[in-house]
Amino acid sequence: MKKMFNPSKVNHFGKLEMAFEPRRGYTRLVHVYQQPPLKASRELYEGNHPAATVFIMESSGGMVAGDRNEITVTLAPDSQVKLKQQSALKIYPSHNGEFCTQAITVELAEQARLEWLPEVTIPFERAKFQVHTTIRMKESSTLIWGEIVAPGREMRGEIFDYQTFQSKYKIYVEDTLIAYDSLQFKPQEMNFAEIGLLEKARYIGSLWIVSPSVNKLPIRDLQDQIQQEKSFQASVTKLTDQAIHCRWLAKEQRTLHKEINRMFEYIAALL
Amino acid sequence: MKQLNDASSNRSNTVDTLTNLSLLQLLQIHDSAFPIGSYTHSYGMETYIQEDIIRTKEQLVEFCQVYLFHNVVYGDAILIQEAFHAAKRRDVAHLIELDQLCGAMKLAKESRDASVNVGKQFMRTVAPLMESPFLLQWKEKIDHEEVKGHYAVLYGIYCEALGVNVFHAIMTFMYASISGLVQNAVRAVPFGQNTGVQALHELLAPVEEAAETVLTLTMDDLANNALGIELASMKHEFLFSRLFIS
Repeated sequence: MKKMFNPSKVNHFGKLEMAFEPRRGYTRLVHVYQQPPLKASRELYEGNHPAATVFIMESSGGMVAGDRNEITVTLAPDSQVKLKQQSALKIYPSHNGEFCTQAITVELAEQARLEWLPEVTIPFERAKFQVHTTIRMKESSTLIWGEIVAPGREMRGEIFDYQTFQSKYKIYVEDTLIAYDSLQFKPQEMNFAEIGLLEKARYIGSLWIVSPSVNKLPIRDLQDQIQQEKSFQASVTKLTDQAIHCRWLAKEQRTLHKEINRMFEYIAALL
Repeated sequence: MKQLNDASSNRSNTVDTLTNLSLLQLLQIHDSAFPIGSYTHSYGMETYIQEDIIRTKEQLVEFCQVYLFHNVVYGDAILIQEAFHAAKRRDVAHLIELDQLCGAMKLAKESRDASVNVGKQFMRTVAPLMESPFLLQWKEKIDHEEVKGHYAVLYGIYCEALGVNVFHAIMTFMYASISGLVQNAVRAVPFGQNTGVQALHELLAPVEEAAETVLTLTMDDLANNALGIELASMKHEFLFSRLFIS
């Protein structure tokens, strides 16, 4: 109804559906449906490696209030895919009180492997953002997923000036919910500096690793691998015998992004 | 105590009243001597104590408030409320879902394990005290490993069987959680007994407020914003020496 009062504003409804399948030794993007501003790049390969790397592009430069993005990824048995967002996801101020919403739905068949490389979500001042991520996978499939949430455009002095950031992240293995990470941040109603909230941190980094080979990663070794630096705190925990979660609470983005990438590569190489 | 009076009399006007016997039963299960092992869990607080971040009464109260308003309210307390209503409807399928959700939300292994272990001990202790076929049915599901038996869900089922109202069930659960943390801090920091008593007294009004907040919340509100506590609970597993299991 609000649109009646603002007829000039047309919201974006980005859609990206991608289905992957192994064909003649390589994983191919066999089906893609894209609706602007979302778009997928062509598959890229590293030498003879069967894994397809695809970039997810957002041509509008950021989400404006009322915009919605839907990304659906399906991996057929034995597919190997690396997905990377082309740049940080920017959420613009909500002038009309509406949310920007994003839904990411992933389905991994037997023995499929998906790497979702860590990228940053930046809610600008007064932004309202809601993201739902749902991953459904098999016991034999592998997921390595990273993400970073920023407090705003820190360089402009925008720190927790957004209105709402909501994220619901779910992983199902064989229909059992093994992880449900739900954040509902309303900076105007919260004092992030309090003991137990974010304290001195501003950035949140998360890594999710689910794989039948997780037992090859002794949890204590991982904890030793995760560097403890002045600018962030980090730890690792077991979600199930097949799943591990790493989390960082960091003061600044650069060292966090570097560290989460390093851990991502370290773990990806072992699995 | 003054600030407690108004709201609590409002409450008893709008919700079915707590009978004397059910009040006593709630007191008994939340007594620190009730053997469910709450004195062995710090839910991440010990990490803060070892890092010298909780040293004063003010810091302890701040920690407890964040635990209450950003962890318990949007986590276990919503699940208790949902489980209580699901138990009333005898909706076993929803209870199974809640049990799974409870585990999935507790990302830190030690806090998740604590929730199951406290639940198991709670069931073992209360089962002989109450004749409730529905509670026994849930016990069988736990025994047959069809569900994990998380404490919050079990506690919701138990309180429904007990006949108390959901508000008092949640408020006393919160009181017991916070009282457990304060008592553990008294031993671990350490604080004098009086400091502990004063800290808990300061937290009474927040406990009531937190319980009232829960009544306005639904499953959609489930969240854990207390990321510092969660990280501390993850790190606890790797501490060199520990007084508490979690």
